[in-house]
Amino acid sequence: MVYTRRTIWPLVIGIIMVAYAYLVQSGNMAALIKFLNTGRYVGEMVTLGYAFGGVAILVGLWHLLAAPREGHADYYLSTVAGVMFIMLVAFIVKWGLDPLMGLWGRQARPALGFNFASVLNLNYVVMGIIAGIVVVNVFRVPGWAENGVRLSRLGLKTGVILLGALYSFAELAQLGKLSVLMIGVFVLGSVWLVLLIGVRRNLPNSMTGVLSSGVGVCGVSAAVAAAPVVQAKSLEIAYTIGTILLFGVLCMFLFPIIGRGLGMGYIQFGAWAGTGILNSAQVAGAALAFQPGGIETLKVAEIFNITRVLFLPIIVLWLAVWYVRREQAAQRTVQQVDAMQVVISKFPLFVLGFILMFLLSSTGIFAPARHYQGAYFDNSDRALMKKDRTGKEINNYLRDSEVATLQKEIGKITRADQKAALERLAQNKKIMSEADDAVVRGIINAKALSKEGTAVLTKAHRVVRHTAAKISKFRDLIAWFFTFGLVGLGMQITMQSIRQAGGAPLVIGSIVGVIKAVGSLIVVLLLVAETI
Amino acid sequence: MEDKFDRGSALTIFPSDRHEDLMALALALIIAALVYFLV
Repeated sequence: MVYTRRTIWPLVIGIIMVAYAYLVQSGNMAALIKFLNTGRYVGEMVTLGYAFGGVAILVGLWHLLAAPREGHADYYLSTVAGVMFIMLVAFIVKWGLDPLMGLWGRQARPALGFNFASVLNLNYVVMGIIAGIVVVNVFRVPGWAENGVRLSRLGLKTGVILLGALYSFAELAQLGKLSVLMIGVFVLGSVWLVLLIGVRRNLPNSMTGVLSSGVGVCGVSAAVAAAPVVQAKSLEIAYTIGTILLFGVLCMFLFPIIGRGLGMGYIQFGAWAGTGILNSAQVAGAALAFQPGGIETLKVAEIFNITRVLFLPIIVLWLAVWYVRREQAAQRTVQQVDAMQVVISKFPLFVLGFILMFLLSSTGIFAPARHYQGAYFDNSDRALMKKDRTGKEINNYLRDSEVATLQKEIGKITRADQKAALERLAQNKKIMSEADDAVVRGIINAKALSKEGTAVLTKAHRVVRHTAAKISKFRDLIAWFFTFGLVGLGMQITMQSIRQAGGAPLVIGSIVGVIKAVGSLIVVLLLVAETI
Repeated sequence: MEDKFDRGSALTIFPSDRHEDLMALALALIIAALVYFLV
């Protein structure tokens, strides 16, 4: 089978992207950019426009001029056109529809009494997924792009692995304890509940087993992993996947709206989405939809999601034992399956990739190992003495006048550790340690000094905190990988796949899914503080 | 889309999830190396 289609569209897409990048770079789009307030995207409009447009032009020419033959080159190269198609949709949504909808939402507010774009959470992530769903179900994905759409899951998995580079031990230790506790309760609880209801309603053991894994752990991949040990039939797997998809897609759109309505913070929402949403891809979609301008929520949600994937081996072994006992009790012969072998062959390796990337990052190659959310402490001369663009040296030590301001106010501080930290700061003209920095931050937040004194402390704190450039770059890249993956994911949500859901599996899956979503919401609201 | 492809599945171009995971890992490592050397 030859996958490359003779078409002009990849070339057209490439020309559009390059032309847009050129127009932005030359300033011809300045009025539109100002109107849509998208100035912060100018850098990526130019870089990504030229990069993807250039590749699309080359591939477009190849599509038109080459005579591809069946083989690996044809198979893999034919995916590029689909990638460009997804990226074009992503560009239009992120740089055009998202800001336009925001503008209309604000303009319609006086008439409607509310900002519809904000209430309906119409940001680029949600609209990107909706655009994908509309494309596949209303217009159909063009034939030349179909092969590339099948790369969207690769984009999501790559994004998750790269995400590993953004965590520090401190963050992981904080979130890890909470996630193991919550996921432990809700994964084991929902698997148990599906098994209980399935048995009560006399569902076949194979159906109950595969549904419990899908609803309890991480969706489609967990259902596929558990299928061999409960000897699930293709139809039972299809029922489970349909249920998970239907429930997952609803959650992906509803969770962010509810989260905003309840005024949840990033950590609370990430914990809730990572626990309550059934399928991994939809967890990422909901987290980014909740916080489209950053990835803090995504980071929290993925820790929870990865924790529940780590529960997969336990669940598969549990189901193997449960299934054999149930079948033997019914005096039916059971075909022996090596559960350990299933665990090893089906365990999602990208989770280990995430851990590998975290360990790699922990060596300090992307940011100092003790960084927290990409920011780190450095009070060395190299960090405090910098040169500006003209080559002029900037001295970030406190000036004598600032030291004098500080010394006048030290008397206001009564706590010994705070006083000592300020004395060290005044004496050395810089914050001397990470512990002193934490103390200084406390004094700033407490507004214990005058406005001038607080300004001196704020400056002293700011000059010893640095953002790692590599971590910032990772953030940008990860956001694009997820955007690509989620738009492509939308193009894979067909009505046909959702219609597979039905009957008792849909009822049981929905009951347990709702209990899990509501239960985890209550736990998060009661127990998870925004700062942990 | 199942019938349209004689390789992979409707969701992926790779023959199995394991292949896809390994490709994602390779891609992530390449990107990490580029960030390390170029940024």
